[in-house]
Amino acid sequence: MIICSDIYKEYHVGKVTKSVLCGVDFSINPRERIGLLGRNGAGKSTLIRLIGGVEMPTSGKITRKMSCSWPLGFSGGFQGSLTGYDNARFIARIYDKPYSEMRAFVEEFTELGVNLHMPVKQYSSGMRARLAFALSLAIEFECYLIDEVIMVGDKNFREKCKKHFFEGRRDRALLLASHSLPTVRQYCNRAIVLDNGVAQMYEDVNEAIAVYEAL
Amino acid sequence: MKSFSQGLRVQVKVIKALIVRELVTRFGRDNIGFLWIVAEPLLFAGLVGFVWTFIRGVDKGGISVVAFVVTGYIPLTFLRHSFGRSAKIFQSNSALLYHRQVKILDFILVRVTIEAIGAMTAYIFAGTVLYFFGSFPIPANVGSLILGWFVYVFFVMSISTALAPLSEMSEVIEKLVPVSVYIAIPFSGVFNLAEWLTPTMREVLMWSPMASGMELMRYGVFGDLITPYYDLSKAFGVSLVLLLVGLTLCRRVRRMITVS
Repeated sequence: MIICSDIYKEYHVGKVTKSVLCGVDFSINPRERIGLLGRNGAGKSTLIRLIGGVEMPTSGKITRKMSCSWPLGFSGGFQGSLTGYDNARFIARIYDKPYSEMRAFVEEFTELGVNLHMPVKQYSSGMRARLAFALSLAIEFECYLIDEVIMVGDKNFREKCKKHFFEGRRDRALLLASHSLPTVRQYCNRAIVLDNGVAQMYEDVNEAIAVYEAL
Repeated sequence: MKSFSQGLRVQVKVIKALIVRELVTRFGRDNIGFLWIVAEPLLFAGLVGFVWTFIRGVDKGGISVVAFVVTGYIPLTFLRHSFGRSAKIFQSNSALLYHRQVKILDFILVRVTIEAIGAMTAYIFAGTVLYFFGSFPIPANVGSLILGWFVYVFFVMSISTALAPLSEMSEVIEKLVPVSVYIAIPFSGVFNLAEWLTPTMREVLMWSPMASGMELMRYGVFGDLITPYYDLSKAFGVSLVLLLVGLTLCRRVRRMITVS
């Protein structure tokens, strides 16, 4: 279970203070698949970064009682100047996984072939998405935080995600930030609409989508 | 207690992985790699020593000028690189914060450790090479040499721990970091011995852990050719206070770090 209680996040740029989150309260239970909806700049990525522990909230507390992935997105978690293999090796080391297993899984899942010998900064966003997914699936988390990244993949990648992730790991929890309403409708059983720094949880995904579309 | 030892185990793993990663990113696979860390100070110290030999003669009170420059300059290189790399270290490594087990203190620890290992390797290597040319003695007191290095490294680590968050908080401090190295030179004992100073100035110099460290290192190498002046309780006291200030600042700054 992951509990967010009364999360505030402010950013200071020079003299300007921007409040992104103003008292966000919700929890993610095991096996729960939550869609995160909100307009551009509503704070979806910020919330995911706070839950992932990448940034710290200005006030409030995040309690993690299950293992939680890093936010899977286009950039985070990689070192751009390192190759795909070097990134895999680094992640295997810090998450204490045997590299041989990690390597085999990454090769099989990403199908990137020789590209894995290239620096990650030269990858397209689709290739990054493949690598990010492969690395986090190889570690096996109880809760996955996904920031948009699924949607950039091609058909083959989406099929793979579906097979490995949505079918093979049904018991995992998920927080999925997305503008793709079909994806949210298909995979999530609850949804949060983020607006004006406040998060509203809806038990019915279609209701959440209706609210989001009316924003 | 169990969670502490577990946490420690994780940190050791993270630090090891970061060191390997840092070496790969900084030097690349196709480069001469770690050798450069060793070669750079050696090259500089060699050149400066060579020039000084012409200006001041081959030795001074039985101490070879080249050996004197090398023993001073290599620790200074370590200090310069460590300070320089502490500036904005959190921003430049922020992608790593995606992994919760990676802590901002690991960045500092890793950078300073790599620089320290590089500098010590350069020191040993330079000493060995110069020994065959007859201008470097066999260290007279290895214990003192090691203690000196320890004092020096601990001080540099403490300063880096404070500089890193300060550079993040203020643009001005970030720009002043390179200057801080030049301010440090007179207090570092790089190009002078405490015994050449007046007693009052020596008293002041003892507040600098760098000077104590350097004196101990030099005594370790040259033995009774020099009279070392050092004050361990002041050296560790000053470093410890700086370290505590640094740790407090790091904790504050962690809350403000934004990762894009």
